[in-house]
Amino acid sequence: MELSINGQMRPIADAAVDPNMPLLWVLRDVLNMTGTKFGCGVAACGACTVQVEGQAVRSCVTPLAALTGKRIVTIEALGSAEQPHPLQTAWLAHQVPQCGYCQSGMLMAAAALLANNPNPSDADIDAGITNICRCGTYPRIREAIKTAAAALRAGNAPARRPAVVRSA
Amino acid sequence: MKRRALVLSGLGAAALVVGWGALPPRSRQGGADTMPVVQGEIGLNGWIKIGVDDGGIVLAMNRSEMGQGVHTALAMLVAEELDVALDKVRLVQAGPEKLYGNVAGFVAALPFHPADSEPGHETRIVKTGQWLMAKVASEFGINMTGGSSTVADAWDLLRLAAATARAQLLGAASLEWRLPAAELSVTNGVISHPSGPQGHYGLFAKAAAATPPGDVVLKTPKQWALIGTPAKRIDLQAKVDGSALFGIDVRLPGQLYAVVRHAPALGGSYGAVNVEAALKLPGVERVVRLGTYAGSTDALAVVGTSYWHAKQGAQALQVEWQAPPAGVVNSVAIDQALERSARAAAASGGGFAFYRRGDVKDAAANAARTVEQVYRAPYLAHATMEPINCTARVTDGRVEIWAPTQMPGTARAAAARAAGVAIEAVTVHVTYLGGGFGRRLDVDFIGQAVRIAVETGGRPVQLIWPREEDIAHDFYRPAGVAVMQASLDAQGLPTGLAITSAGDAITPRWIERGLPALAGPIDTPDKTTSEGLFDLPYGIANQRIAGVATKSGVPIGFWRSVGHSHNAFFSECFVDELASEAKQDPLAFRLALLREAPRHAAVLRLAAEKSGWPGFGKAQPLPAGVARGVALHESFGSIVAQVVELSMAGGKPKLRRVVCTADVGTVVNPMIVAQQMEGGVLFGLSAALYGRIDIEASVVRQTNFPNYPVVRMSESPRIETYLVPSTRPPSGVGEPGTPPIAPAVANAMFVLSGQRIRALPLIA
Repeated sequence: MELSINGQMRPIADAAVDPNMPLLWVLRDVLNMTGTKFGCGVAACGACTVQVEGQAVRSCVTPLAALTGKRIVTIEALGSAEQPHPLQTAWLAHQVPQCGYCQSGMLMAAAALLANNPNPSDADIDAGITNICRCGTYPRIREAIKTAAAALRAGNAPARRPAVVRSA
Repeated sequence: MKRRALVLSGLGAAALVVGWGALPPRSRQGGADTMPVVQGEIGLNGWIKIGVDDGGIVLAMNRSEMGQGVHTALAMLVAEELDVALDKVRLVQAGPEKLYGNVAGFVAALPFHPADSEPGHETRIVKTGQWLMAKVASEFGINMTGGSSTVADAWDLLRLAAATARAQLLGAASLEWRLPAAELSVTNGVISHPSGPQGHYGLFAKAAAATPPGDVVLKTPKQWALIGTPAKRIDLQAKVDGSALFGIDVRLPGQLYAVVRHAPALGGSYGAVNVEAALKLPGVERVVRLGTYAGSTDALAVVGTSYWHAKQGAQALQVEWQAPPAGVVNSVAIDQALERSARAAAASGGGFAFYRRGDVKDAAANAARTVEQVYRAPYLAHATMEPINCTARVTDGRVEIWAPTQMPGTARAAAARAAGVAIEAVTVHVTYLGGGFGRRLDVDFIGQAVRIAVETGGRPVQLIWPREEDIAHDFYRPAGVAVMQASLDAQGLPTGLAITSAGDAITPRWIERGLPALAGPIDTPDKTTSEGLFDLPYGIANQRIAGVATKSGVPIGFWRSVGHSHNAFFSECFVDELASEAKQDPLAFRLALLREAPRHAAVLRLAAEKSGWPGFGKAQPLPAGVARGVALHESFGSIVAQVVELSMAGGKPKLRRVVCTADVGTVVNPMIVAQQMEGGVLFGLSAALYGRIDIEASVVRQTNFPNYPVVRMSESPRIETYLVPSTRPPSGVGEPGTPPIAPAVANAMFVLSGQRIRALPLIA
């Protein structure tokens, strides 16, 4: 089968997977795309968050069978050091990560939040970011989301974002 | 004197075994050939190499980055003394040599009272004990990232290594240019002389290696350009783009994945196992019977082509299992037994007295009245975000492991034991740790991974524990109970304080399983049981603080802030109760008891001012239904006060603000300190509100985040950190933020409810 990941069609050997296999393990163990993390396996912690059709999705419980023809975006395509997503810029400005393990999922959840809500309130952030961080980066994440939202509203978004930002 | 004699005789014996020699001041600098030779790099000592082409600095990194910012902090120490920008320092993993071991962390484990251990003013007995422990720790060279000791251990060591390298480089330039070294200056790694000559470090590296450094003088604080600044962490770009390499991200050619399934009962074992159904599943390669490694429970591992395939196999195993041979344990029964032990010792003056002052019996006999309360805390799991994992490859008698570990040397020894090879045949690659919190001071999962890799015909295998195995087979923060007794005078002020706690001693159990060669026949008094109780700053005239070390049969380990994690709840809630007894404001009451502890008083006063506590500076009135609570606690050499503001909603406290003030000695990076205080608060808040591990018939009832909840964004308050300026050497940062939050929250809840909660977690 094929999966649309980060704007590319990726062939997946049928022998390596089965329709019930969660996307997380296809990404990590079949495609060696390790930016998306395993945390709990039961959709409780959000470390595995990716975007499917622009929505934040917990890939540890999303079976392959549900993904045919869907556009998947992972942390690997959010942005780079050279072309960062405004959230990544804000994450560095606020020095958010500590151990860093949950941050891919946090960023992907935050990107989906901002794509749907350009000016999230504290309550919106509380409701939109339900991921777990054991290092306690929540206060900095909250501030970084607000900074990135302001940058996006001011038009500081990089032009290339179609894969991540949901089309209006 | 008895306790000190016992501690010192143990150390003395150890020092005799390793030999009495002077501790040369430069004993941990290492030779120029200590670091591996790489083309284009010149080693100047055991810590520093210089890149010949660009003058870049290569630093041997001996500590694990698990979020606490030490890679940045240690690089800052070196960049400072070498006068280079932080991005000129590149890290390579330090080797297994003894000089990379941790000395400060082990010295700090001695059960001395902080008042006897003031730097430069240590009592004779403290000085002797510290010298002996430093000697012993240096000889063993145990590389440990833990005990909030990394910067304290590196502080003189790395600055001296860097300053020595700089002096050698300047000396070489001076010889080549025939100009006095004193007239040379350095800007971002480029040496220059006012008369014109200039060149980067790399040009002088080879000559510098043969140039004696002469007198090396460290910079004075006024000369610092980097230390004390909020320099950006060097590891964060990789942590925002998904490229940071954690243990679980290691990918090697031909790699297999293994999922562990322990016998359900802690310390239990498997009987008959039927693997047929599992082996029939696609992608399942084999099942390996593991046995026990460094304290782990008997387990099976299923090997497959992906974690998911292996997990399907693990679920398909048909197993029979048995309870531990010593009998099953129950956390409710343990809690009751701890209370009985503590009460009996409190009544008889038993337990090991970690601190004595005056005479508590006299104080009780002469008291206007006495107060007694019992406090308790449950077992806790670590729940690091990165599940427990290790990757291993065994080929031709050689073993390689890739591990998120806080103990690379111990991991190496565990790998050697599991593979049956000499330790020299093992190479350890330390990755980033997705959280440690003490869990990765244990090496059970290392032995398991290597054991599996022995079976896979040279193919590398990555062992991953499902979250359910992590929660149910941890080395838990021990449960604890303390009987708190105070004698009060006619004004309600405390004249005596007796604390008798009961709980398992962590250190001897950890040494037995991880460092068996160091395990002794008897447990020496372990400070982990009493820290946060025996070392209180309050000037109460009569004190006896004792602990009963129990053996409850539950695997226990170090958990962020260790004994302080629950003992601060006991002591700071009880002190709050004493303030109520004296009908005094709880913050003013504490300050009045801190006349002998000016540093503690300064931290507390700053918290009062910044939080707008009534009576201190500009009061900040609170809305109806919101209350403040305060706690003050010293741990790992640092003093932290926290004032919380909270309301109650649906029976749960909702925190809106935490003011955190701290004296952590000299601050290397205030941004990282603030991060660690925030993290310490939220880690402690999860435990305070929700944390509990229940054990029934040796089986842990909790399995995953849905029934082992932790704080999320919606429960996370605003946290403000303020640091008290200090010229003392740096002290701990990673853990001291955790202990005060539980009592601060409980004390604020009391203001709203009038009810004291004396058991954790606060939400029953």
